[in-house]
Amino acid sequence: MTDIVPPIARFREVLSKDLRRRYFATYTDTAVTLAFAALVLWVLWGLLDWAIADAVFSADGREACFQTEGACWSVVTNRWRIILFGLYPFEEQWRSAIACITMVIVIALSCLPWFWNARRLPLLWISGFASFYILMRGGLFGLTPISEREWGGLALTVFIFAAVSLIGMPLAIVFALLRRSSLPWISRIMALVIDTIRSLPLLTIMFTFALVLPFVLPGWAIGDTLYRVIIGYALFFACYQAEIIRGGMQALPAGQEEAAKALGLGYWHRVGHIILPQAFRNALPPTINQFVITFKETSLVTIIGFFDVMASGRAASGTAEWSFAVIEVYVFLALIFFTFTFSLSRYGAHLERRLSVGRR
Amino acid sequence: MTDLLKNRRLRDNVLQLVFVGGIALMLATFAVTGKTNLDAQGLTSGFGFLEKTTGWRIGFSLIEYDTSSPYWLAIVVGLLNSLLLGAICLPMATLIGVTVGVMRTSGNGMAELVGTLYVEAFRNVPLILQLLFWYALLLSLPNPRDAEPILGGIVMSGRGFYFPALNVLGSSVVVSLFVVLGGASLALWLQAVRWRDADPASARRERRVLGGLMVALVVLAMWLGRLPETGLVSLPELRGLNYQGGVRVAPELMACIIAISVYGASYIAEIMRAGFNAIPKGQGEAGHALGLTRWQILSRIRLPLAIRIVMPTMINQYVWLFKATTIGIAIGFADFFMVISTSIVQSGQTLELIGILMAGFLIINYSLAWVLNRVNDAIRLRGSQLRI
Amino acid sequence: MSDIAVRIADMNKYYRDFHVLKSINLLVRRGERIVLCGPSGSGKSTLIRCINRLEEHQSGTIEVNGTVLDDNVDHIDEIRREAGMVFQNFNLFPHMTVLENCTLAPILARKLPRAEAEKAAMQYLERVKIPEQANKYPGQLSGGQQQRVAIARALCMSPQIMLFDEPTSALDPEMISEVLDVMVGLAQDGMTMICVTHEMGFARQVADRVIFMAEGQIIEEASPVEFFDSPKSERTRAFLGQILGH
Repeated sequence: MTDIVPPIARFREVLSKDLRRRYFATYTDTAVTLAFAALVLWVLWGLLDWAIADAVFSADGREACFQTEGACWSVVTNRWRIILFGLYPFEEQWRSAIACITMVIVIALSCLPWFWNARRLPLLWISGFASFYILMRGGLFGLTPISEREWGGLALTVFIFAAVSLIGMPLAIVFALLRRSSLPWISRIMALVIDTIRSLPLLTIMFTFALVLPFVLPGWAIGDTLYRVIIGYALFFACYQAEIIRGGMQALPAGQEEAAKALGLGYWHRVGHIILPQAFRNALPPTINQFVITFKETSLVTIIGFFDVMASGRAASGTAEWSFAVIEVYVFLALIFFTFTFSLSRYGAHLERRLSVGRR
Repeated sequence: MTDLLKNRRLRDNVLQLVFVGGIALMLATFAVTGKTNLDAQGLTSGFGFLEKTTGWRIGFSLIEYDTSSPYWLAIVVGLLNSLLLGAICLPMATLIGVTVGVMRTSGNGMAELVGTLYVEAFRNVPLILQLLFWYALLLSLPNPRDAEPILGGIVMSGRGFYFPALNVLGSSVVVSLFVVLGGASLALWLQAVRWRDADPASARRERRVLGGLMVALVVLAMWLGRLPETGLVSLPELRGLNYQGGVRVAPELMACIIAISVYGASYIAEIMRAGFNAIPKGQGEAGHALGLTRWQILSRIRLPLAIRIVMPTMINQYVWLFKATTIGIAIGFADFFMVISTSIVQSGQTLELIGILMAGFLIINYSLAWVLNRVNDAIRLRGSQLRI
Repeated sequence: MSDIAVRIADMNKYYRDFHVLKSINLLVRRGERIVLCGPSGSGKSTLIRCINRLEEHQSGTIEVNGTVLDDNVDHIDEIRREAGMVFQNFNLFPHMTVLENCTLAPILARKLPRAEAEKAAMQYLERVKIPEQANKYPGQLSGGQQQRVAIARALCMSPQIMLFDEPTSALDPEMISEVLDVMVGLAQDGMTMICVTHEMGFARQVADRVIFMAEGQIIEEASPVEFFDSPKSERTRAFLGQILGH
């Protein structure tokens, strides 16, 4: 008995000292802790009540929804196909699902350092994107062709995000290199272009590419509205990412490029082996942040009229029978976005911690 | 010949020529194609259409506007609405963001938890989704007949929020706003240019004169804009199905304000947290050693330093936040972008209006960045021998 | 193969309006060891950086190994391959191992196969006495070890001339000798060397000529014995007094 008590008492003492310091250090602290704790509990209670306790989950619980004050998740269980796949033909929706999962795998694999290589990463993305496109579009391997007009929901959102990243990243590298060129005309014009595009709202750029560009483009260059908007968004992405890469390059000591020059390495060798690899390492956390923001902002295409996951969500609750449950649909959409962006930004924070440990 | 090709100076010049030439060619193609298309459609180019009447309504306007007003007035209305949204949302987002940032670095476990929950909840959901959510929430409030006024005059209903208001013309409010903004900018400029190095007593005197002048101008604007035969303040009163009197803030505007402020605040909170973490611990320790309370250390040492550290990042954030006000189009708030896009649909003068849109945003963003850079210069830590 | 390693004739360099290097004339024969010294701002670093085009000169001629240094890219590349440089701040590539640092340029610029480049690199690493560090990253080595890797890296390109820009100035005192030993070894093997340094002991031991520069001009040029024991110019005497004083 006597040798069990001391460790327990010590444990309790240590625990309470930590607790005291963090939560109850002074009278103000105690008051703040209690006030916030009360706030959190109140909000949590109300939320759980609404979302779970009083909620209706079953797919044909529409009648039951009117009896309760809780959430009507039936709109989700009933209409989830529309939300996730839009107007994609019912029998082929499995293709849409697999395509989305493929892209998620590509993104997850991109986070592994093994892939951070000028050869492997582009290969991963190009093959992943190609698989996505073939699955959705069909026409090959016995899959029925389905044009982009019928793509919708989450699959369209993922498609836009992947296409923008795939086009935007190489473009960003080109912009960054042009921006830091020692040739005055090139660097100044690039600076003007980048600053101008960064000053404009993304919505404006999407709108311009969707509606205005057909006016000024020769016939062969007009293409489909979806692809024009993707290119516009990619341009916007490239300008922001170019500045991030440039920041990474500026953090490099000038001696790195000098040593490379002194060794007799030419421009492309210098840029490809010495400057860009180090610049990207420096710029990794802001780059991940940029990807997170890009995914969130794809939701803007709904305003232009595309049937992305936001539009499909509103369509799901847009019918007369479900129009009262629009908030539940919004919460569901929020959860989809939250899952993706939260994981990616957590990963970014973890990466930042790991990279700063490595520095002296 | 090959010698010429290898000449670095020649290569550099040729590269620049090709680059500039390529861009010029692209722009020329745009111009020619655009002209051809316009001629083919029989549309006139040029800005003459700005004088024509619009024939359509605008939901929310700070100045007088109706269906017989010309296009240029509609554009001004849209611009003012965007500026109003920016003027309300940016300070609110800063206030909330700084508070949450302080909470997250306060050392109190519960405050940090609430701060983290706030930031993660609102940063990871797209702005447009948050906007739609708030709008749906506001629309589902009880309609005016069933809504109870709170705090003696504020009514929250599905038709909008009603607040007690001063009985003055909208233009007076706009003028006052400009006076305040202009005065503040002038103060900042004077701070950097005169008052920093001037004798404190005379600087204080000049500050008081400027402040007095601003107050006088605002009072004058309010007095001149007074609506005849009414008291100073009008309270919203229920008459029949609706409230009369007071000022009604439409749900569209309210939703935009709430969504943009809350979203912006979550980003500002993160920036402030990074700023606080960048302050060396020695600063706080020196404060403790001097016997300052925690609140004094926070308000007089840590907060001013954090603001100076994050100012450049904040400037980018503010420019970005102002651009985010274009989201109003999703719920029908008549901001600059929505007015322009409606004009394009109605008048067909696409290229000119897009030009106006881009010019407008460029001017506003450059001005905003310029003003904030002046502020940054004014409060920057001086000297190169700093060791913190 | 000519006897002249570096010939500089009437070279002038301006930085905007500032006349950084004034009418420089220098002749370095194959196998010669030159030490450049002088007060800071005298232009000595700028001079050797002009030799491999890290800085551009405005007038006069620079010839390295018979190749004229002008705007012709082929000439510039050739000169950079033939002249190796060691920097004050080492400038090793932190994201590559020691071995990869050494083999990068031979593989890319001299188009050597990887196996051959690695073999040569290991030989040079042994010469600078740190072959066991081949798979470490620069950040894991001490300053002296890093600078020795930098020397090996430059040597892997088999240069005819080695340029040293204050190679020991950024090192802790106890590591200076290990780097100087390597440089002495190089000199004994007959490498043409131009060193900017404050290490007067090294100059006395190894240099064929010591050149004193001040304010962008060459003030005095002499053998070490003459230079240290009987300097001709007043300026040189003042400088030596400061440097050797403590």
